Amino acid sequence: MNEYLNIFFVILRRDLTLAFRNKSEFINPLMFFVIIIILFPLAFGSDSALLKQLTSGIIWISALLATCLSLEAIFRSDFEDGSIEQLTLARYPLTLLVSAKVTAHWLTFGLPLIIVALLTGLVLSVPSQTMLALLITLLLGTPVLSLIGAITVALTIGLRGGMLLSLLILPLYMPVLIFSMLAVQNATVGQSIAAEIYFLSGILVLAITLAPITTAAALRIRLS
Amino acid sequence: MSIFNIKNLQCIRRDNILFQGLNFDLEQGGLLQIDGVNGSGKSSLLQMCVGLIQASEGSINWNGVNIKESRYQFQSDMTYFGHSNGVKAELTARENMKVMHALSGDKSDIDYSSILKQIGLAGLEDVLLSRMSAGQKRRVGLSRIFMTQSKLWLLDEPFNALDKNGKKIIEQLIVKHCTAGGMVIFATHQTMEIDGYPLQHIHLGNET
Repeated sequence: MNEYLNIFFVILRRDLTLAFRNKSEFINPLMFFVIIIILFPLAFGSDSALLKQLTSGIIWISALLATCLSLEAIFRSDFEDGSIEQLTLARYPLTLLVSAKVTAHWLTFGLPLIIVALLTGLVLSVPSQTMLALLITLLLGTPVLSLIGAITVALTIGLRGGMLLSLLILPLYMPVLIFSMLAVQNATVGQSIAAEIYFLSGILVLAITLAPITTAAALRIRLS
Repeated sequence: MSIFNIKNLQCIRRDNILFQGLNFDLEQGGLLQIDGVNGSGKSSLLQMCVGLIQASEGSINWNGVNIKESRYQFQSDMTYFGHSNGVKAELTARENMKVMHALSGDKSDIDYSSILKQIGLAGLEDVLLSRMSAGQKRRVGLSRIFMTQSKLWLLDEPFNALDKNGKKIIEQLIVKHCTAGGMVIFATHQTMEIDGYPLQHIHLGNET
């Protein structure tokens, strides 16, 4: 067990080091995220009542779009320099190594995104109970985005298809978006959001359990 | 007694039969060279042998068990070094070696500096690979065969981008490994200078 934990952290550390040495790769999607959000007040006027209603939705949709841009980074360089073969042929289960890589992606993209989302929420004066719901849904939702995204990236990597990736991945993100927005709307009118939280947690647990296995299988298919 | 053998192997890539009916056995101490013209399926054969590509027909066995059935057992007995080096340009030599060593599953303490010295990269421990030449990167990639305890090595064009001296170091290591009872399968166009160690051959492609 210890051994597996050890290799998990070796890969996690490797990917975090790589992300910090290659800053543009993880800062650019975050900048993209902020810029899309900024476009909306420009279009609707920063005081409009409509914008106030839409803010959390805007933040969530921007998060989905930014995720699409950031996902390729999980496997692209490994695919180009042959590291992916070495991971596939290592002594340890590929599922475990893939989990470490996805964790690294969430730590360098999902987590900073939540922080940036909170800041923009403050700037756009989102009310506090809506903000809390937004925070919870992002915490539960962004890991799902990374996990499901990894499957799609594994299938499409090397196919020159950033567009293909987005077309495949966005429909898969719909359930997360639906439950998150329901939670945010309920929170805004002061209702309980427990049901949505349960659903999102369920999706997260399912994704943590199944997505790495599927990603590993997809990688093997992609390599053969 | 470790044995690696393939039976009646067939390879189809892009609707072309690259080879079929291929058989061989490799026993302890066996050294096997795969040669053939470009596009004859050398790399495909090696990738099949490690299980990256599925054979369209035939079987590959390690100690009598099909490698598909005991994947992680086989993978812990085997080291593959492919066309690409499998090292990261944004990591230093030492960081790359740490990762390779961890992935190989070997838990002994290894002095990375002394291995780098052996492969002619003394003092480059903390240099990013993006600052190294193609040959130096190749050497860092090859350092994995210095760190592994595995019996079977599969090397695809190991001498690419290496200079004469680098080639010699690797040749000596291969012979040393085989003498100690290991097995090596490699693909290359170059002539091996291995001081009379018995070398088996597989030739792919047309016999002309």
